[in-house]
Amino acid sequence: MLFLQLLLQGIQTGALYALTAAGFALIFGATRIFHFAHGTSFTLAGYAFLFCWNAGIPWWAGALAGIVAATLFGLAMERFVYRPIQRHEGSFFTVFVAAFGVAVVVQNLIGMFAGRGFAAVDTSLSRATEVLPDVFLAPIFWIAIAVAVVLFAALSAFLTRTHAGVALRALAQNPDLLRAYGLSSNRLSMLAFALGSAMAAPAAVLTAMTTGLNEAIGHHVMLISIAATIVGGVGSLRGAALAGLMLGVAESVALQFVDTQWAEAVSFLVLFAFIIFRPSGIFGVAQTR
Amino acid sequence: MIAYAANLATLVAIFCILAATLNFIIGFAGIFSVAHAVFFGLGAYAGAQVALLLVPDALLACIVAAIVAGGLSLCLALPALRVRGEYFVAASLGLQMMATTLFAEAKAFTGGIGGLVAIPRPTLFGIEVGVLPLALVALALILFLTARLQHGAFGRSLQSIRDAESAAEALGKNVAAAKTLAVAFACAGAGIGGALFALHLSFVNVESFTMDQSVLIMAMVIIGGTGTLWGPVIGAIILLALPSGLAFLPFIPATEVGAVQQIIYGLAMTLLMVFRPAGLVGDLSKGRATA
Repeated sequence: MLFLQLLLQGIQTGALYALTAAGFALIFGATRIFHFAHGTSFTLAGYAFLFCWNAGIPWWAGALAGIVAATLFGLAMERFVYRPIQRHEGSFFTVFVAAFGVAVVVQNLIGMFAGRGFAAVDTSLSRATEVLPDVFLAPIFWIAIAVAVVLFAALSAFLTRTHAGVALRALAQNPDLLRAYGLSSNRLSMLAFALGSAMAAPAAVLTAMTTGLNEAIGHHVMLISIAATIVGGVGSLRGAALAGLMLGVAESVALQFVDTQWAEAVSFLVLFAFIIFRPSGIFGVAQTR
Repeated sequence: MIAYAANLATLVAIFCILAATLNFIIGFAGIFSVAHAVFFGLGAYAGAQVALLLVPDALLACIVAAIVAGGLSLCLALPALRVRGEYFVAASLGLQMMATTLFAEAKAFTGGIGGLVAIPRPTLFGIEVGVLPLALVALALILFLTARLQHGAFGRSLQSIRDAESAAEALGKNVAAAKTLAVAFACAGAGIGGALFALHLSFVNVESFTMDQSVLIMAMVIIGGTGTLWGPVIGAIILLALPSGLAFLPFIPATEVGAVQQIIYGLAMTLLMVFRPAGLVGDLSKGRATA
């Protein structure tokens, strides 16, 4: 029954990975900005929630604070870092280094003010009960899956049914044509950052309630998000979400054979295999650049 | 005081080697690696094992370290040949994170978390020597080679690949061979830096080869200026002088010096990219190459 237990655990982790990765894929797909500080949005949201929880603020207000923190951070990055860089040239290298610098600063600020090492909130939701012989599930398992399903449904409805959503997809395909039609790519780019960053917040809150957070978790989140985006195929939200789920399950099921510290290595091996054998990913078309 | 200065100078020389070699792959080959500390670590462990198990000969330790790090650099070269830019960063990030785990777990080779201790003092042809002159010679050699390569046929091929890979390939440049060689050269250099580091401290553990160290080396290259000869050297000196300078400021608690240092160079990286992407020494008239 260990396998089933690990599989279910993997699905829970994978649902959270899927949310985070889809946020990154949304930003990268629409704006072509390699938002390396996406992991920082995640960390900030998680710590905002932790802070509220420890201050005795109700959980829903804490979760809201997390979403607000992530969204504001995403918007600030777009407005004050990426836009000025893109004004002069904006090679991948420049954007990456600038984002990386911010990630390093925030990681250390959190370490200084919130303390280093793992922090988690303990709720009755994360206490596991036996649902099948030898299989334990916490209520949070169902919450994670429900949150992921609802958010993905809402996102796909937004991208296909609303004007702003359709414009966002158009921005991904052809920014010049979009401008020719009189739409503002700046405003759409801010929308992409707000939405994509907000997607990371629920995952961060749920992570704080299960495995806990540390100040350096952003690197791990980043690795998963980029890996999922590449494995899923760049430009495909569905692919990124599916790949995120897959990575979560792979990391968890691998625990049957190896110790926990190797979980990250499993994700890396999956990514490495895809880069070597199928760089365009599951749903990707052949890359032109 | 002289011992303190000599210690600092040795570390500066070693980090100059690391920054100069990383600059070689970032600035000339356009391969953006965040895994340089991995090869630093491989060299350090290899050099330490040579000194512990065989003889503490500095030259032998450096050669073995260069072979180990250069050989295993294929882990880095292989994905670099398949994908560019964004994708490669992800691969090197993963490599760095996996290597940290590997260093902490492969106890037979690395001594695990506790590391390798009591590495004997280095000798050269049987005579005991300090690490500082060795490190300075190695640095001079690497800078000399970099300068020669920069203006030679190999360096020009590399730069043409960095700026326009398809065009270089169409002109008959062997892209795969050039990239593999560049990575092997740079990683072998990092390995030598590692061996010298191990011999200097006579103790190594995984703490020195983490993501944070890779970021520090990267910050040295970027703050100094990528693609320049002296930029990384200046970056290394500035960033290593920083903690010593901060220690004199009374209002920063000793436990937070590391964090304050990282905040300063993180901020410097971001601000430089926004206002002066070529780095401190970089040539402003030339735009940065698009990787």
